[in-house]
Amino acid sequence: MDISEQLNLNSTTEEEVEPYLEITTALVQKRRSQGRIIFDRFVRNRVAIVGASFIILLFLFCFAGPIVWRIDPNQNNVLDVSATLAPPALAHPFGTDDVGRDTMARFMSGGRVSLLVGLTSMLMALMFGIGIGSIAGYYGGIIDNILMRFTDVILSIPLYLLLFVLSASFTDGTPKSVILLIAVFGWTYAARLVRGEFLALKEREFILASRTIGARNFRLMFRHILPNAAGPIIVNATLLIGTNIILESVLSYFNFGIKPPDASWGSMISVGQSLFALDYWLVLFPALGIFLTVLSLNLVGDGLRDALDPYMTER
Amino acid sequence: MGRYILRRSLQAIPLLFLMTIAMFVLIHLLPGGPDQVLFNPHQTEAAKAHLRASLGLDDPAPIQYVKWVTSALTGNFGYSFETNEPVWTVIGRAFPNTLQLFGAALILALVVAILLGVISGVRQGTATDYTLTVLAYAGIAMPVFLLGLLVDDVFGVALKWFPTSGTESVAVTFTNPFSALLDHLWYLVLPMTVLAIAFIAGWSRYMRSSMIEVVKQDYMRTARAKGVGPVAVLFRHALRNALIPLITIVALDFGAVAGGAAITEGVFSWHGMGLLFLDSLDRRDYPVLIAMLMIGAVFVIVFNLLADILYGVMDPRIRYS
Repeated sequence: MDISEQLNLNSTTEEEVEPYLEITTALVQKRRSQGRIIFDRFVRNRVAIVGASFIILLFLFCFAGPIVWRIDPNQNNVLDVSATLAPPALAHPFGTDDVGRDTMARFMSGGRVSLLVGLTSMLMALMFGIGIGSIAGYYGGIIDNILMRFTDVILSIPLYLLLFVLSASFTDGTPKSVILLIAVFGWTYAARLVRGEFLALKEREFILASRTIGARNFRLMFRHILPNAAGPIIVNATLLIGTNIILESVLSYFNFGIKPPDASWGSMISVGQSLFALDYWLVLFPALGIFLTVLSLNLVGDGLRDALDPYMTER
Repeated sequence: MGRYILRRSLQAIPLLFLMTIAMFVLIHLLPGGPDQVLFNPHQTEAAKAHLRASLGLDDPAPIQYVKWVTSALTGNFGYSFETNEPVWTVIGRAFPNTLQLFGAALILALVVAILLGVISGVRQGTATDYTLTVLAYAGIAMPVFLLGLLVDDVFGVALKWFPTSGTESVAVTFTNPFSALLDHLWYLVLPMTVLAIAFIAGWSRYMRSSMIEVVKQDYMRTARAKGVGPVAVLFRHALRNALIPLITIVALDFGAVAGGAAITEGVFSWHGMGLLFLDSLDRRDYPVLIAMLMIGAVFVIVFNLLADILYGVMDPRIRYS
């Protein structure tokens, strides 16, 4: 079926009138809670479900894959010339690299690092960004000024310079420190985005209305304004994952994070780049991994945004 | 608004001053130091010591900072350790290149990203929307290095449509300044395109998401009911309100102009700020580094201020009290 038809199905009136029907036909029946409504709407969005399944499959492939695919990702095979830089074939579906290691096994072990680092550092950066941005945008004035000037300072320090300095004193970074480092520098875009949305949204009539009926600051910020700023936040979140996965490989170059021979998608790409012209599979598969992660998370994010959108029920 | 701009500009002065201290400390924490660049192996120890002393490198760091600040306040940012030229001469060679590259990429990316974002936002959930979504995320997952090499290989090496690297034709003197400019633009096409693709992929997503929100609002229906045409309603009424996230992001991305785009510049040998920064970092060229960092800070502050002003222009309800 055509994709547009599927989506049109979602916006027909059938789901919108449902809660009222429930109340009128059987008054004893409980009304669905807000969370339940959002969940139901999300589950009915087929594109979002496709995205969610892709993410689950990727996680399964990387985390449960090694149970079936028992090749050691770091086992090299330099002595056998036929086993090095072999193109994808049945024995090695993703090919082998220049020292004869199986690219599929490395894709799995690298995916475990990249997915975890990408996702957790994205979540942390988003938490900092939303916190700082919403406080600055909502309260405005001197609080906004202090927080945003602090953001300017962080934006002015090139990450590369800092990494050089840090690599001199900390030569042994754990994945935890990598996640923290990325999060500490990744929140600035989210903060300025959220602040910009808050500046515009707090002047709208519905905020005045909720304040008139007695809603407090905290409720106004997180129940009324923040869901309306979901669009740019979700876009930023999906883009952040992509950047973070690449950034992780830059960090490992500076002795933070994973070290060779261990792999991550980012490091597989940066190592494979020099051989790309003849041995495309070294870069293609990890890049495909990043592409599928970012794309399917975006589909999930869009579904979430639609489910949160009150306009979806009013049309 | 005038008072707001004035206040923010005045605030920038102490902020920049504080940043000089932070940057100075960071640079002096760099492992290694500039000795390898300064000395050649044939110099005697006495000559080396004399050179270090004359550059003030043996002074305690606070003294060095005070000396740097007092000279910087008179506009003299010192001399490059590498070439002995004034810092402004070194940066003056690289900065115009980067500005042209970013400026051209910015214009191209803005036009394309807004257009694609509006199309996919208005046609949310159609085949067009999904095609553009997949393309955008392919652009994001694609390593810039690879994209650069690919574009270079196809349009430079195979098709020979554009030069593969450099900023202008060498060993050719143009009598006509117009043909010199044309030649320069010719070299700009490929690096500009690569940089723009990276921007378009991200920017069009922000545009799409805010377009989806805006087209559903009541005033859009009112405008349509009053008989405003479909194109005018999108680009005059909807766009204005949908632009706030894009303004934020464009200001952030363009505020990083002084850092250059090292990867794109590297692939096309476009000698700009990105390459100069990596080079100076490598050689621990303190005077050039700190000048570059301060220019970077000024750009970040100016562009974020511009974004704040533009918010108010796009949505007059936004006020800064």
